[in-house]
Amino acid sequence: MKSLEQLTDSVFYIMAALTEPRHGYAVMNLVEETTNGDFVIGPASLYTIIKKLLAEHLIVLHDESDSRRKVYVLTDKGREVLTEDIKRRKVMIQLAEKGLKGGA
Amino acid sequence: MGKTKYMPSNGLAFSEQKDMEKLAKKAKQGWMLKKFAFMGYRLEKSEPADIQYSIDYRSLEKGEKEEYFELFQMAGWSHVCSNYDIHIFKAETGTQPIYSDPDSTVDKVSRLAKPIYSIAGFLVLFFIFSLFLKSVSIGIISQIGQCFHFISIVLLVPTIMMLISIHFTKWKVASSRKSSI
Repeated sequence: MKSLEQLTDSVFYIMAALTEPRHGYAVMNLVEETTNGDFVIGPASLYTIIKKLLAEHLIVLHDESDSRRKVYVLTDKGREVLTEDIKRRKVMIQLAEKGLKGGA
Repeated sequence: MGKTKYMPSNGLAFSEQKDMEKLAKKAKQGWMLKKFAFMGYRLEKSEPADIQYSIDYRSLEKGEKEEYFELFQMAGWSHVCSNYDIHIFKAETGTQPIYSDPDSTVDKVSRLAKPIYSIAGFLVLFFIFSLFLKSVSIGIISQIGQCFHFISIVLLVPTIMMLISIHFTKWKVASSRKSSI
């Protein structure tokens, strides 16, 4: 994973889940439930992405009292990056929706 | 401890997937992976089981292990054994793969390559050193140089082959990401 300028779907889901403090397993669960099991994040991918987000200061360790379930949350920078990516994704969706409706 | 047997590895840099498939086949025949052995694996006789194996490369600091293994456990992957930074997990057949994201898979391959780069770097220095020794034209030292020269070449060739293989894997994963919609 080189840069996080354009968030992959996995990174986007993980960041969206970390708008509130959560541990890794809770993130995995939330994504799976929200998408009815369509989108599953593997544990190795999740761990890699968490480390990457920490290194880029997009999330911080919120609570490490349970070493098995460390809790993370988005930083201000993380919120900014996520907001930017929502805008980017909205443009995509609007274009598609407009196209589909306009054809009628 | 029950009956055990040895299974050689094909070399993780070359055929990690093949090794994992072979281990799964052995498990179906009632031979379960127990631990790493020299250039291979030690299997233990048990009930036949329908399971799959996955491997991950990661150097874990103190205090990172618990969280890392817990995440795998929760996703259905239980830790079998580790050898330095190499970790093997098993899960029931049908469990979602440990890597779901091509970007993080590329990262995994890079982590595998890191120590091999260090070894290659060391061998290149050793090679240069041996050339230097060889060029000293006094008897025994020159002979030692000749000997070192030979050793460094014998070790460099497989190391470079490993790096080429790893880069090929990386390129394969990266290009599969581009072509997948």
